Amino acid sequence: MTDAPLREPWEPLALAPPPESLRGLRAVAAYVLPPAAALAVGLVFWEVWTRARDISILLVPPPSRVIDRFLDRPGFFLGEGMTTLYEALLGLALGAAVALVAAVLMAHSRLAERALFPLAILVKVTPVVAVAPLLVIWFGFGLWPKVCVAALISFFPFLVNAITGFRSVNPGAMEFVRSLQASPLQVFLKLRAPSALPYLFAALKVSLPLSLIGAVVAEWFSGDKGLGLVIFTANYQLDTPTLFAAIAVLAVIGVALNTATSLVERRVLFWHEAFREQN
Amino acid sequence: MVASEHILVEGLSKVFPHRGRPLEALRRLDLRVGWGEFVSVIGPSGCGKSTLLRIVGGLLEPTAGRIHIDGRSPRDAQKTKDIGLVSQDPSLLPWRTVLGNVTLPLEVNRIDRRRPRFQPQELLELVGLSAFADYHPHQLSGGMQQRVAIARALVFQPSLLLMDEPFGALDEITRSAMRYELLRIWQSARSDRPRTVLFVTHSISEAIALSDRVVVLTPRPGQTRAVIDIELPRPRDESIERSTQFLDYAQQLRKLLKEESP
Repeated sequence: MTDAPLREPWEPLALAPPPESLRGLRAVAAYVLPPAAALAVGLVFWEVWTRARDISILLVPPPSRVIDRFLDRPGFFLGEGMTTLYEALLGLALGAAVALVAAVLMAHSRLAERALFPLAILVKVTPVVAVAPLLVIWFGFGLWPKVCVAALISFFPFLVNAITGFRSVNPGAMEFVRSLQASPLQVFLKLRAPSALPYLFAALKVSLPLSLIGAVVAEWFSGDKGLGLVIFTANYQLDTPTLFAAIAVLAVIGVALNTATSLVERRVLFWHEAFREQN
Repeated sequence: MVASEHILVEGLSKVFPHRGRPLEALRRLDLRVGWGEFVSVIGPSGCGKSTLLRIVGGLLEPTAGRIHIDGRSPRDAQKTKDIGLVSQDPSLLPWRTVLGNVTLPLEVNRIDRRRPRFQPQELLELVGLSAFADYHPHQLSGGMQQRVAIARALVFQPSLLLMDEPFGALDEITRSAMRYELLRIWQSARSDRPRTVLFVTHSISEAIALSDRVVVLTPRPGQTRAVIDIELPRPRDESIERSTQFLDYAQQLRKLLKEESP
């Protein structure tokens, strides 16, 4: 036996901790590399499969053809993507704003809640696809029908989460702030609004992809531009590579929005149980 | 005009309407607390001691009876910031720093500018947290969080401090250390004006170690069973808990509390 220190079999070799900047990079790599590798494997498999089986490009184009199509006109796809993103975010902002105002009313008054909440459920259960043609009749072919559909579809998650959030105040903190003779506005700003933040971020995570859906669906009905129109036209012309490229751009937009939300959430809600740093 | 007693409670009753079966929490309770006195209220769980504290603090309205804080109603005393409140749950705002939590009352109040107040830094020093001003509550231990809650209650230099089992959620070691820490804070902040403390607890040793008098309540509905004067010298530290006098008081209180259980 050598006099090397005993080591449990699962214990990794002691490595000097990497410098701070490298550690950040490593953390990012640890989150990005595995899904990226899985995606790459999937794409390779897809490429090989479509070529080996000689599958019609009208049905499933190989990824290389989709990438070619995108690279033919990257400005076109990104421009249309920006249009759809703009409509979705504007709609999300509108839906969230209306929902927040309604939630403030409902969180403060049971009567308002009883009067308005059933209406909100009516909005929620009505399929937005069914309403979209009506909005085209009302608003024509411009920006607004898309914004309205995106707003309608984002509205409900914000409403429900905001009502719960404004009410989920630590009762001890509420009693303390009330004992200070705080005005209702002060109670709202100092206590209710920050308490609701975790719920609002949850709503945002649900509503962001929904708002994209809303914008795309509205573009099918009243498309003058946007990825929804690109998809609609490509579908009509059996231009499957363009269809796939548009879908891929939408997916990338969705992932980017989701990642951005998570990063902001982590910074804003550093005090929340879910994000506390271990110490 | 200064009332002869700081707190005067006479014939206090509180009944909670409870789905057709009213719950009688307190029945014709009398209590007098002098200026600068440290009085503990002890009793079995559910005897209404917290209810008593909340009524004295103006957070609840009594069903019957008379409560005067320095000759005024609890609500009035609360409005002029003559009452500081500490509960079992420190209820700090997790998104605010320690300093931000202590200064919260100053932000919320549009209060008489002449009202004396502590400088926040001075307060943090008093509770031994000046090095932690920029920390957030989740980075602090339970005992430290409770110190922040005490500092927050003292901002307006209230003459009356109401404490509802403030150390009830702490571990045994922290808990007994906090007792003497509280006494130190109480006595060092005492000099400018007498500061009265009404302290609710179900710990016998806590009540004896802290108090000038211990009020024993009966099981629900709460009534005064006995009032024990604690004649231990001040300042006190942990060593008094081993004195025979202390143990005699504990024996006496334990007996009083046992008698009451049905």
